[in-house]
Amino acid sequence: MRKRRVMAEWREYYQNEDDEVEEDEEDSGGAYKISGRDSLVFLVDASKEMFIKGEDGEPSNFDMTMQCVRSVYTSKIISSDKDLVALVFYGTEQSKNPRNSFKHVYVYHDLDSPGAKHVQDIDKLQGEKGAQLAEKTMGSGETSLGEALWCCSNLYSDIKLRLSHKRLMIFTCRDDPHVGDSAKDRQARTKAADLKETGVVIDLMHLTKPEGFDVSLFFCDIVSPPEDESELGLQTEPCRKLEDLQKRVRAKELKKRAQSRLTFSLGEGVNLAVGVYVLARTATKPPAVRLYRDTNEPVRTKTRYFHAHNGGILLPNDMKRAQVYGKKQIVMEKDEVDEIKKFDDPGLVLMGFKPMERLKLHHHIRPALFIYPEEEQISGSSCMFTTLLLKCSEKNVFALCRYIPRRNTPPRFVALVPQREELDQSQTQATPPGFRVIFLPFADDIRTVDAHVGPTASDEQVDKMKEIVHKLRFKYRSDAFENPMLQQHYRNLEALALDMLAPEPIEDLTMPKVQMMDDRLGPLVQEFKDLVYPPDYNPEGKPAAKRKPAESGGGGAEKKPKVEMSEEELKNHVEKGTLGKLTVPVLKDACRQFGIRTTGTKKQELIDALTMQFSK
Amino acid sequence: KARGSSALVLCMDVGFSMSNSEPGQEPSFEQAKKVIQKFVQRQVFAENKDEVGLVLFGTDGTKNGLAEDGQYENITVHRRLMMPDFELLEEIESKLQPGGQQADWLDALVVCMDLLQEETMGKKFERLNIVLLTDLNVQTSADQLDVIIDSLKKARITLQFFLPFPVDGEDRADGGGDGPGPSAAPVRPGKGLSRQQTQGLEMVKNIMTSLEEEDGLEEVYTFSDALQKLSIFKRIDRRPMAWPCHLTIGSSLTIRIVGYKAVTEEKVKKSWAIVEAQSHQRDDVKRETVYCLDDDNETEVQKDDTIQGFRYGSDIVPFSKVDEDQMKYKSDGKCFSVLGFTKQELIRRHQFMGSQVVKVFAARDDEHAAVALSALIRALDSLKMAAIVRYAYDRRSNPQVGAAFPCIKEKYECLLYVQLPFMEDLRQFTFPVLENNKKFKPSESQLSAVDALIDSMMLVEKDEDGESVDVFKVNHIPNPQFQRLFQCLHHRGVNPDDPLPPVEPWLKRDLERPQAVSARCQTPLQDVKTKFPLKVVVKKKEQKTSADVFGSSADEPDAKKVKVDEETEFNLAEIAKGNITSVGSVNPVRDFCTLIRQKTVSFDQACQQLTHRIEQLLGNRSPEYYMKSIACIQAFRDQSVSSGNAELFNSYMQSLKRSVPDRNLQELWDLLIQDALTLISKDEVDGSTFSKQDANQFLAFEQKEEVQAAPVQEDTGDVDDLVSVSCLFGCFNDKHIIYYICECNSDLQVY
Repeated sequence: MRKRRVMAEWREYYQNEDDEVEEDEEDSGGAYKISGRDSLVFLVDASKEMFIKGEDGEPSNFDMTMQCVRSVYTSKIISSDKDLVALVFYGTEQSKNPRNSFKHVYVYHDLDSPGAKHVQDIDKLQGEKGAQLAEKTMGSGETSLGEALWCCSNLYSDIKLRLSHKRLMIFTCRDDPHVGDSAKDRQARTKAADLKETGVVIDLMHLTKPEGFDVSLFFCDIVSPPEDESELGLQTEPCRKLEDLQKRVRAKELKKRAQSRLTFSLGEGVNLAVGVYVLARTATKPPAVRLYRDTNEPVRTKTRYFHAHNGGILLPNDMKRAQVYGKKQIVMEKDEVDEIKKFDDPGLVLMGFKPMERLKLHHHIRPALFIYPEEEQISGSSCMFTTLLLKCSEKNVFALCRYIPRRNTPPRFVALVPQREELDQSQTQATPPGFRVIFLPFADDIRTVDAHVGPTASDEQVDKMKEIVHKLRFKYRSDAFENPMLQQHYRNLEALALDMLAPEPIEDLTMPKVQMMDDRLGPLVQEFKDLVYPPDYNPEGKPAAKRKPAESGGGGAEKKPKVEMSEEELKNHVEKGTLGKLTVPVLKDACRQFGIRTTGTKKQELIDALTMQFSK
Repeated sequence: KARGSSALVLCMDVGFSMSNSEPGQEPSFEQAKKVIQKFVQRQVFAENKDEVGLVLFGTDGTKNGLAEDGQYENITVHRRLMMPDFELLEEIESKLQPGGQQADWLDALVVCMDLLQEETMGKKFERLNIVLLTDLNVQTSADQLDVIIDSLKKARITLQFFLPFPVDGEDRADGGGDGPGPSAAPVRPGKGLSRQQTQGLEMVKNIMTSLEEEDGLEEVYTFSDALQKLSIFKRIDRRPMAWPCHLTIGSSLTIRIVGYKAVTEEKVKKSWAIVEAQSHQRDDVKRETVYCLDDDNETEVQKDDTIQGFRYGSDIVPFSKVDEDQMKYKSDGKCFSVLGFTKQELIRRHQFMGSQVVKVFAARDDEHAAVALSALIRALDSLKMAAIVRYAYDRRSNPQVGAAFPCIKEKYECLLYVQLPFMEDLRQFTFPVLENNKKFKPSESQLSAVDALIDSMMLVEKDEDGESVDVFKVNHIPNPQFQRLFQCLHHRGVNPDDPLPPVEPWLKRDLERPQAVSARCQTPLQDVKTKFPLKVVVKKKEQKTSADVFGSSADEPDAKKVKVDEETEFNLAEIAKGNITSVGSVNPVRDFCTLIRQKTVSFDQACQQLTHRIEQLLGNRSPEYYMKSIACIQAFRDQSVSSGNAELFNSYMQSLKRSVPDRNLQELWDLLIQDALTLISKDEVDGSTFSKQDANQFLAFEQKEEVQAAPVQEDTGDVDDLVSVSCLFGCFNDKHIIYYICECNSDLQVY
């Protein structure tokens, strides 16, 4: 079975600005800061029942749990490597815990940020061999959930770091773990209550058992009540499939956090508060860190500015910002540069509404955001928000708003598209209720494209293509494709961290399954080609080869001789402001030729340097 | 390499008719100058490589290559083709003055053509364009018109006209503006055009339609259009780079395609360099980056002694650049390969990723590819499906998965490609239920209040022909960030020691809710306000998070919190509107509306200040102030309706009406009739004492009444009027002595 990895990396994606000097991080006016670390304890039942294999070679509940834990580990490694995770087994024969004071509780991983070693440890517990190893090291024995919970609460209290979010997930397929032992039941309830009191959220990830899992027997008193009385509380159906379990774990495993909280103003002082959430963001490879060669410890960088002549350190006040246009240098204070970008305070301001069909498919410039009311900021927000949501969706309109995400950021217009809640078959939330925030392009963002106009297809040709389309149809799911570049990167790191000989090969899901497509299409392709292409037409062939540069004559490979530019010519260009028409290599040569120091090799920097030199 | 650059000649009429203007309007000369200024400003600061020339006609002098034997006189080539620079900006600012002559605009056009021909000789330009800004108010000879049109066609020179009035009577379908702003009184086309202008207009139409058939007229703009949109740039826009590729389905079906980036976020291109504060020299600042160990001494290490690594959870894995390149994912080059087809509805709009939309056409001049792609586009369109494709820009770039949607337009067909998310990009958050939550369940009256609000705030309106018109097209608004940046750069360049200027009012207006919508939604919004209790939660312990957002200091004591919030709100309004404390004479409407919104002074006071200004304006007895007065009256009325206070407005209107004969304000009154600015009726504001019929009749001045002194029997509401009027004028500033004509008791009252 293919191991599924969840590689998610949520770092802010910054467009690489030309000059790192300028684009200091935006003032985090609206950013939501958190302190402390998130923690998650997996408390897994290790009783015999957990190891029973399903029919038709289906993995055992234990196996499924381990795969799930592994995917959380790897995703934590990638997305939030500061988070702490622990893995604890209960119902074991052997005991292993910090003070060895608890019987039949086996702490496999103490609360720690997971690394490659942890993942490797989990891998050892998977499959047939894993079951054997588990039997050998831990075994299955008596069950006392109370003791296990007590042990977990010690794990939390032993941590010296500040924990911002504490969660504990119980994985089991036994709805009555103590088989009628009411004293043990009582102890477990007390310990669970203690944990909850200290802010730990307890979830149940119950797995299938033949007679069905009855939550009301025991576990309903153990788990935390839903965050909100209306929230889907206990999933009454146990997880049968790994996908379901992973989805359920994933939904809980990440604490949802707003990117910012803003006022949404309808006008005339009618303001509500909303949280802005990022539900999709381009995951990128994290930046490299520099390590000291001798010790492999990370080094920090410090950037300093000092005066070129007297060598004194320059403080922010000793520096200003400048741009050069033609021969003119325009200077501003840092504050002024920020001020230029300020139009209003952060927030959403309602402009009006438009029918949904006015939202054009091709008006897309950035991934969408999501907003949800913040009752804690302005009470009544949720009611107002819900009413807007219902009415917009009923009338099939979207709200057009002006949006300023943080301080000193110019406005953009966004469409708030209503989205009502949808559940999937397993009653898990598939789409949350709220407004999607779609960014709309300004006039500048729309390019003029000269359309290619050509002949159109006949009905017969179109019908043939319809058959092709029909043969290759599938149900698109947004989470169906992994990013092969990221997958490869992390496999490489994993291999290096674990001293593997070679990284595990990745399956590139973005590649077309050509063989399968050809099989399905059969003769259709040829039939279509006969309809649209003349026999001698070869679409793969290059069109009339590009004209060679004029007068290049026979000798193809000869390189253009370097032409040195006279000072006269350069001066002329500077005067006419036509330096920009020269190519970068020519500009570079010119700088070299006249010994002009440049701050960089960007075209503009070269031009600026030359302009400074020759307009003196 | 000047790929795709353009040469453009700005040809502006500076003749004396350009300096004339309708009352209350900016002269055409000033408007045209602004258009040119803004265009050049953008060209300079965006550092476009296009070359621009400037030709003026109607100048006192003559300076052009064709002038001979009394021909082509009063036409001046002010600047030959060059990249626009700061100098040009300064020249336009200071040296571009109205001339005292008139010149034939067709002659000027010929001069521009000549200039283009001469200056582009031997250089390669992708586009040649002439922009003519004129009021057409000059005798033009149609002699040789055919030859001129022919040469334009041959030289592939395109034309754009900018006129003070629209080319055809009605606004063009997409020209629907945001309603007249306070200063831009609606131009009434057709009316008031001189004979020359009517003739000239015919000639413009003739030229434009013969150049590009029916679309030609789309390149004739009004000055106000040009300021709002970026119409001048349309012709010389750099076209996006072509991306030729093969669309493949399976192993043997290939279609030659070309993609173009059609929509993508335009960023500010130039960044700021750091200079030393005193010398303003870049070279005086040295930047140094050092590496140091994370120990107490911050021991510095040499860059050469460091290696590259990556985090893998709690581990840090050394991974050299060489190894990384060796082991990294390698794509096999540019591709646009279909993975399969899916229903369009399965691809949600909010799942679009990336920052662009690519338009995909069949390869140019390949009709077989065109037919094949057309078959695909039409098949997808009729099945409501889209292609899911693997897209890689080139060998070095990472592959994407995206959707190609069919797009069939009247004139062309294409695929629209958008990137879709990878699994790693998605974040699964579960949010609490809203709809079926008892706590948040809206009542029927709340639902209907929001229903009414939405109806009143629709930004799509039906025009006379029943066609719905979008009154707030975001894709027609230029990004204010650029305009603001260029404005500040320009200002600082010219005045190095001045503080930065405020945001230009029209730029602000572009970002506001359209006035008509604002007016319409007042009442429903008030209703929403009363039906939904919304209260800022004052937290016991001020959390950093909310403080950050709401802009108050986190360390403020609790008691001060509420006050701070109020202040913040006030500041917000103030920043948006500038610091306004009273109704000034420059922009009384804006000031008045701001005062009302900010509630800095009472409603009554704001109204008093406004009427004060109206009286001042009318006191000038010159018709050009009428437009401004009418805008004031309109604002007075709108605000009164939305505040539910009809009394002040109605009594003012009554007294104004009574003063019409004495003050000779007949013209003003006619304008009020045209705009149907009448009393506020009971239907609009409960407290009004007038029925709708009363209001409708109010404006009608019987001819006799006008001549006669106003009859006494009309003044049934006298006492009330007197009370409100005197309260209206009770607190006028002593310095201003206002003659307020009112014949309630005496003829002239002095306050």
